Amino acid sequence: MNKLENASDIQLGRRVGSVLIFLFLLLGAVVMLFPIYMGLLNSVKTQSEMLTNILSFPKELQWGNYPSAFKKIHFFRSLGNTIQIAGVGLIGIIVCASLAGYKLSRTKGKLSASLFALFILSMLIPFHSIMITLVKITKQLSIQGSIYGLGMLYIGLGVSMAIFLYHGFVKSIPRDLDEAAIIDGCSEFKLFYAVIFPLLLPVTATIAILNLLWIWNDFLLPLLMLTNSDHYTLLLSTNMLFGEYSNDWSNILASLILAMLPVVIFYLFLQKYILNGIAEGAIKG
Amino acid sequence: MTSKTKWKPTLILLAFVFPALLFYSIFVLAPSFGGVWYSLTDWNGLNPDYDMVGLGNYVEALTEDRFFLDSIWFTLKYVVFMVVLSNFFAILLAVFIESQKRSKVWFRTIFFMPNMLSLIIGGFMWMFIFTKVLPFIAEHTIFKFLDQSWIGDPKLSFYALLILSLWSGVGYLMVIYIAALQGVPQQLKEAAAIDGANSWQTFRNITMPMIYPALTIGLFVTLNSSFKVFEAVFALTGGGPGRATQVIALNIYEEAFSQSSRYGYASAKAMILFLIVFMITIVQLWIMKKREVEA
Amino acid sequence: MRKKLELSFIVVLMFLVVVGCSSNNNNVTPVQSDNAGTVATSKPEESPAEPVKVELNVFMSYPQYKEQFEAYFDQFIAKELAEKNIAVTINTEMPNSDQAKQILQTRLASNDAPDLFTIHANDIPTYYNAGYLSDLADQPSINSLYEPIKKTVTFDGKVVVLPLESSTWGYLYNKKMFKELGLTPPNTLDEMKVVIEKLNTANIPPFQLAFQESWVPQLMTAQSLGGVVSSKHPDWITKMNAGEASYKDVEAIFDIIDLINANGTSKPFEVGNEAGAADFANGKSAMWVQGPWNADAILKVNADFEIGVAALPVSNDPKDTMINLSTSTSLALSSASKNKEVALDLLNYILDEKDSSVLFEQLKFNPISTVHQFKVNPWVEESSAYVAKGQAYQDLTLPNGVTDEQAKLLQSYYAKSVTKEEFISTMDKTWATAVKAAAK
Repeated sequence: MNKLENASDIQLGRRVGSVLIFLFLLLGAVVMLFPIYMGLLNSVKTQSEMLTNILSFPKELQWGNYPSAFKKIHFFRSLGNTIQIAGVGLIGIIVCASLAGYKLSRTKGKLSASLFALFILSMLIPFHSIMITLVKITKQLSIQGSIYGLGMLYIGLGVSMAIFLYHGFVKSIPRDLDEAAIIDGCSEFKLFYAVIFPLLLPVTATIAILNLLWIWNDFLLPLLMLTNSDHYTLLLSTNMLFGEYSNDWSNILASLILAMLPVVIFYLFLQKYILNGIAEGAIKG
Repeated sequence: MTSKTKWKPTLILLAFVFPALLFYSIFVLAPSFGGVWYSLTDWNGLNPDYDMVGLGNYVEALTEDRFFLDSIWFTLKYVVFMVVLSNFFAILLAVFIESQKRSKVWFRTIFFMPNMLSLIIGGFMWMFIFTKVLPFIAEHTIFKFLDQSWIGDPKLSFYALLILSLWSGVGYLMVIYIAALQGVPQQLKEAAAIDGANSWQTFRNITMPMIYPALTIGLFVTLNSSFKVFEAVFALTGGGPGRATQVIALNIYEEAFSQSSRYGYASAKAMILFLIVFMITIVQLWIMKKREVEA
Repeated sequence: MRKKLELSFIVVLMFLVVVGCSSNNNNVTPVQSDNAGTVATSKPEESPAEPVKVELNVFMSYPQYKEQFEAYFDQFIAKELAEKNIAVTINTEMPNSDQAKQILQTRLASNDAPDLFTIHANDIPTYYNAGYLSDLADQPSINSLYEPIKKTVTFDGKVVVLPLESSTWGYLYNKKMFKELGLTPPNTLDEMKVVIEKLNTANIPPFQLAFQESWVPQLMTAQSLGGVVSSKHPDWITKMNAGEASYKDVEAIFDIIDLINANGTSKPFEVGNEAGAADFANGKSAMWVQGPWNADAILKVNADFEIGVAALPVSNDPKDTMINLSTSTSLALSSASKNKEVALDLLNYILDEKDSSVLFEQLKFNPISTVHQFKVNPWVEESSAYVAKGQAYQDLTLPNGVTDEQAKLLQSYYAKSVTKEEFISTMDKTWATAVKAAAK
């Protein structure tokens, strides 16, 4: 008799606990979404409506803020710029880092270890230490202000982490594969792109996603590098809006929402890969 | 064995590494050396002429620069709170979410989303919340305490900053912990339950040791990124009011670009920041290596 | 689930397309072109056939006037094409004011100077010593400047920038409110205290405080330091530069600052300049230590607002209450410009005989040259009256970095994290460092 009571007590305790946990999570979710929701809500109100009641649902949805926000941050143009920069950066990082990471992982010896260490070291360098000199160098190379130049910068800045990830992942590909391919007459290079690289796809996906997010959301470097506001990324254009309209919140909120949109859409579609990638990237590292 | 064969592997290695090394050298190594060089001068970022001052900048930064030292203390305070709170909440959320059967995916998605947004955007949105929404709520509900000058009061702006950073960062750590939790075999937990252990005991003695590597990663990541924090502060408070929320990275940025534009001096401070982060990393790695050996 | 996501994706996509298409006509303005920051070099020639192409990079920290300047540049381009057969493309860069300085310095330091760029007149020595400015003597625009204004941009005997914004200012006050309460602008601290009391009794915060952007509280020191130094310590700056003085000598500046801080609107750190202008325009306060450059922002919110400008009292001697005459933003020609002739044409066009008045009126800038024939705003007349009486002083030239530090410290001072003594000692130190850094 006692045992049964005990069991059902535990069951009840578990149930209550489970419900409490759920409520806690719900509360947390509300807090997480609160700023975004508030931003969205108030972006479709008029300025005066917002001042009277911030929490309320608008009487009429003022979509009017959006076309003007669209124009002010030059949405499509900024988007295009950001995509181009990210494209150059990503392709460069993946190509360079996979080549390097693979070979460094396969080759033993002091040279290999030292080169690897050299790459890893940079992950600690704070950006501020290299900021102005970096811009100065880009000017000397005549690539400052160019979108593609900025993309190249990201290659340099991003290869380290990518090499690290490739290096670790390659270890899980058996060496026998390499040897077999060579015996079959493959050149080193062919071995890489025909055999190894396809097998690197999972970590390549992770690297692509992580770096895309980093480049997309980067602020300081594009600010210093891009001289012409025609070349501004989405984030930069949105920030510039703040200088022009520091008090017109309904307008600002609309542009913030617009700026968030691509990332949020990207996230909602690829979240499975993103989350897995992050988990793996961290655990392997 | 001809000399050709002996050198071939090295050549091939260099060939494969070359593209990465090229970009890396130009855009990371060269500026790093440049940064070190300028840290030994008194360059003001503008004038082509400058003088060498050796370690003078470093001495000044560590002995005379009250604001720099303040920023180090402030950043330290921020780091401690962030490391403890974000990992605590991340583990808590991870455990809670894992315990849910159906809503798991939804919660995971929602909690991670803020991490996707740039802190510049997140910062502006939270500024809106702190300056417009919270006072409104305070006026019209019972939560009167919400009506504070979150951003303006030096005592409170720290907490505003923490809230923004936690909101943005917890999701990332949570994902790592969820993955780690999924690696804990269910049978072990069930065995413990049968042996009479309650949830807390199971957690403490079975789960926690097994997610230890993830904990180390979480601590490492938070430590590293919290010391270098910049965008969150830049967007939310700009380091203000005055210098109340000025973290190290912001102090360096302002030294280089406003005030007297002492870029050489700012570079020295940036090197100091680098050394701090570097030392922490070394300590971390050392502890990890020791634990690994033991385990 | 997947279907739902796909559907929502399509909806959002359609939304974006609809919104984008309803406003797609300005992504490319006729003036700007895609470039990689390079500047084409070509001397303007007399060729009736093919116009010579020249590209200019113009850097201005006026994002709020972007439209007006771009329209003005369009006029210039048409003029240059018609008169000299040069097809000019102008790339305008207009960053936020708080990032402008940093971006400009990065550009200049990496040899990527824009052809024309704006700087604050106080920074002339720094940029001049670094060799980035050009001598603008004998340019028609310079020759047309009013003498006192020309003086504010002369350094080392040369005129090195073209002033754009020149103001006479003290503090702004709500004329209607003052009339209703029977107040007149005070001439001494004691009179100011009376005004403050009357306002407090009427439940109106006497002063607008908008300290989110640090340059705004700094205006208080610009006024109080300017007033105190110009009246009682005329050689203070020289002595400071020689290391023989201290901020302690001018401690009196805190008299008015403390008064303002203690009688102002609440939560100043959450109020930026534009928000402050909106509040002021809506009658949330009676006075604001700000300049007429905010006129545009104020009138945008309340077109019926009557702006008054008065001199800020700094002591109990009415003779010390003076108007500040200053040139702030000015246009410089880069010494490294590869298109000096065309850039100078643009520079001179800013003070064009025919078109400049319209531009300056639009921007609500003060007239600065003989080409300006527009009617000045009423508040300018008011402040000019002080000047006519001789109750004015030239804005103080402080070493580079001193104003920025004052700005930050004033924020901290209000927040009570810095005491008066700490303010004084830190400012003394900053001044000394700045002098050392500038001695190159």
